Amino acid sequence: MCDTCGCNNPEEYKIFRPSEHHHDHEHEHSHDHEHPHGHEHHHGHKHDHDHSHEHGHSHDHDHDHHEDHGAAKVIDLNIGIMTQNNLLAERNRGYFEGRNVLCLNLVSSPGSGKTTILEKTIQALLPKEKIYVIEGDQQTARDAERIEQSGAPAIQINTGTGCHLDANMIQSALKKMEVPAGSVLFIENVGNLVCPAMFDLGEQKRVVVISVTEGDDKPLKYPYMFQSSQLCLINKTDLLPYVDFDVEKASANARQLNPNLEIILLSARSGEGMQEWFDWISKQKNE
Amino acid sequence: MHELSLALEVIDLVSKETQKKSLSRVFEMEIEVGTLSGVEAETFQSALEMVVKGTLLEDSKIIINQTFAVGTCSDCQKDFNMKERMATCPDCRSYPSKIIGGDQFRVVSILAE
Repeated sequence: MCDTCGCNNPEEYKIFRPSEHHHDHEHEHSHDHEHPHGHEHHHGHKHDHDHSHEHGHSHDHDHDHHEDHGAAKVIDLNIGIMTQNNLLAERNRGYFEGRNVLCLNLVSSPGSGKTTILEKTIQALLPKEKIYVIEGDQQTARDAERIEQSGAPAIQINTGTGCHLDANMIQSALKKMEVPAGSVLFIENVGNLVCPAMFDLGEQKRVVVISVTEGDDKPLKYPYMFQSSQLCLINKTDLLPYVDFDVEKASANARQLNPNLEIILLSARSGEGMQEWFDWISKQKNE
Repeated sequence: MHELSLALEVIDLVSKETQKKSLSRVFEMEIEVGTLSGVEAETFQSALEMVVKGTLLEDSKIIINQTFAVGTCSDCQKDFNMKERMATCPDCRSYPSKIIGGDQFRVVSILAE
């Protein structure tokens, strides 16, 4: 259907514990959002306020709003299209804060090593920490199974043909998996450096993972993801002698986009740098 | 390809609004997409055209206005329109020291009865 990635019906997703396998389709999306839509008061605004940013417009409005439509009238809506997701994300965030849960959203391209980093993190931090994982993939329960083998409860979201997780999916997953107070909850997003950048899930921090087998210009190619993250993990450093990846250049590229981005070099495989990542996690917990 | 789920979100939003206001026909819908909003305007337009079938927006004219972000050059201090996140000053090729706007992504209005 979509010629960019073959998306068909992003509304069709499944959420299940690895032990349940695939058999309980959820089609949750005619979401019964009860939250108060704050937009009523916008209506009728002749929006001549706040738009100091509007000047650059090269709008080529072909505003022929006046094709004869009888009694039809123009109704100002002024509704942000991300509003729904953002409201749900804030509810998730409130839920995490109220329960003192640290929620980290891991994003990357496919194959950067997110799942391996999580496995090693779980093995190192259990049993001291309570760790829970929400896994996002288009298909299969493979990642959730790997996580559970490492010892942490996991829930799998299969986005079907969708290319990202959204706040509503996280809310539904939280209803299926109890995350006790004081836990660390990792969300492993769908491997994709484009779409997940737009969707706030309610996490406290976003962690972008790249690996040295990718190009050091990755931050420049996918600026939104690097701009919206607080930490960048550069994984597979054990392979540095064999690849052309320039750590300095990659870091400079990332910081050009986001001067506040923290960067940790690590190898989930050799263990190098992992302690720094664990320290970063416990620092976030104590913040 | 988040544009598709965003297109579905638009239909959801507009359907709710028209229901609330007891409107039955939408002739036009105007949407504003900022150049730094993370939404590809053209892809979004095609996505909308795909998903409106069978909804009350099926025959509506969809107007998508792109709003440019304005960057201030870190060298010459001149303002320039930014078509993308990494846009540089057309004169000095420098990155902006300040960026205003460009993140708009909203349904501006509908023409309906």
